[in-house]
Amino acid sequence: MKIVVCVKQVPDTSDPDTEVHIDSSGKGVDQGKFSFVINDADNYAVEEAILLKEKHEGEVTVVNVGSEAANQVIRMALAKGGDGAIRLDDEKFAGSDPVALARILQSAIKDLSCDIVMTGCLASDDGYGAVGVALASLMGVPHAAYVKTVEVIGEGKLKIGRELEGGLLEMDEIDTPCVLTIQTGGNEPRYASFKGIREASKKEIKVMDLAATGLSEDQVGEAGSVAVMVQYSVPVVGDLAEILEGDPGETAGKLAGILKEKGLV
Amino acid sequence: MSIEHGVFVEKYDLLGCIQCGRCTGGCPVTERTALNVRRFVYDTVDDSRLEELSESPDIWDCTTCNTCAIRCPKGLEPFEVLLGLRAMRAEEGNIEQTAITALESMFNNGNPWGKAAAKRMDWAEGLENVRVLEEGEKADVLLHICCTGAYDPKIMPIVKKLVRVLNAAGVDFGFIGTEEKHCGSEARRLGEEGLFEYFDEENTELFGRYDVKRLVTLSPHCFNSFKNEYTNLALPVQHYTQLIAELLEDGKLELTKEISSKVVFHDPCYLGKKNLVFDEPRYVLGKIKGVELTEFYRSKERSLCCEGGGGKMWVESESKAPRLAETRVADAHDLGAQTIAVACPFCWLTIEDAIKAKGFEEEMQVKDILELLDEAL
Repeated sequence: MKIVVCVKQVPDTSDPDTEVHIDSSGKGVDQGKFSFVINDADNYAVEEAILLKEKHEGEVTVVNVGSEAANQVIRMALAKGGDGAIRLDDEKFAGSDPVALARILQSAIKDLSCDIVMTGCLASDDGYGAVGVALASLMGVPHAAYVKTVEVIGEGKLKIGRELEGGLLEMDEIDTPCVLTIQTGGNEPRYASFKGIREASKKEIKVMDLAATGLSEDQVGEAGSVAVMVQYSVPVVGDLAEILEGDPGETAGKLAGILKEKGLV
Repeated sequence: MSIEHGVFVEKYDLLGCIQCGRCTGGCPVTERTALNVRRFVYDTVDDSRLEELSESPDIWDCTTCNTCAIRCPKGLEPFEVLLGLRAMRAEEGNIEQTAITALESMFNNGNPWGKAAAKRMDWAEGLENVRVLEEGEKADVLLHICCTGAYDPKIMPIVKKLVRVLNAAGVDFGFIGTEEKHCGSEARRLGEEGLFEYFDEENTELFGRYDVKRLVTLSPHCFNSFKNEYTNLALPVQHYTQLIAELLEDGKLELTKEISSKVVFHDPCYLGKKNLVFDEPRYVLGKIKGVELTEFYRSKERSLCCEGGGGKMWVESESKAPRLAETRVADAHDLGAQTIAVACPFCWLTIEDAIKAKGFEEEMQVKDILELLDEAL
């Protein structure tokens, strides 16, 4: 079984003290004080791919659109059990919307004759949740989104569980090749040990630029996008919002007072 | 993970064990968990059982407080066997998610707390003249704050007090700045030998960039790693209590104000039991006017661990029995102590929690020795 798993490196905003500031262009975020990690849902996609490989044999190829810095997350995926990696890196890819990104990814994936392509269901930075679905459309294969469970039930057939609201799991059958966008929580992503990452550094990360993808300039970046990001803005604080000031002890006390006053506790 | 025959036997000198049971007999976590370290020393002689033993949740109960090692009549370090088993789990990637989060953050950010490296000097906000050393710059002391001091909002003010105290004593000191990294101690305790070796190499190279006479740490955990576990570090290493004891002895630090408080000192395991630094913290506290210093029944070599070390900040024991820090706080309460003095960020945090859990906030406080010194300046 050949599996491709797409991973994205994103700013780690899990720390409540993370400072997110719009940069001077208004179209980007100041990245100076960020640390970077694998996108959370992609981490689950990597684990699901490795689990399938361990059960059914085959190989897992890690694919990423990003700069050299993204090697960090690629190597972690390789250390967990990925066999090879492709990184698509060209400054002309900047500004790509999910459709253009899917096109870039497809250019690398199309020659791999894989059975399953996995992506995370949603990127934590831009929140589009669209790359996997766009990729399936470009590849002309079926897809399932928000997948939590994957089981091989026969030659070219998978049974998958999609997470719906209220914790419902929708069970579907899907033919391969297909694209699955993986939801968080379906497995427990393993740890990539430091020795494993060092060992994985020996595995080749194939780098492809625009020329290598065979795409033209007008198919990538803003030119190749159907949606173009115009500007970021911070929502205005509304009249009904009350920001509690003070240290955690004080604000917790004030909050408890408000909840009590409103009869909520 | 395949273990070559006899690796544990040789690495931990398992055949040196006479199964006397002094290790388990003194192990503080046996009060609240089923951990039996003697049994692990016995069982790990059999290579074929290592895989199974590494899957026991008991191996994560150990706080690496060193009691078993200090009590061992054969000079073994029984708890290291548990770290060896943890290392097997870590190498396979099969460890607790909370530990994974901490270890991945150490790798990505240089700290276990999920904080950006660029924010590592935020603790110094509002302080003037905090000296971040340039490459090749001279200073008597290179201060290593490490991760909990740099990022925990409750410990960050204590680092400021260290700066104030050292300035008052006229010490020539500087910091690494945002390039400072985790010492690796907790990586090793969580079983990540490889990551520890990485920090050993990186930090040794980093410290070598400065023309400094000694390395001084805020935390006993970093102190221990730099002093005993780094393979190629030439710099003399001190815990801050040792430096301050020297300054007081030499008359360079004057403490003028009186603090009227009954104080009991809680020995941090990595300063006390691990490195036998018992006298300096007591000497420093004894120099503060008005401090009435009392002792726990279990102190120095017999000191009770607070359960903050050994990676326990990230791996919770299943036991619902009272934490050892709560026992410690209850003991301090019985002594009538108003202040539990500590010299370790982990101790500060666990004991503060325990004071709250026991409902003693009105009666007693945890204070780092630096907080008391700052008040006494």
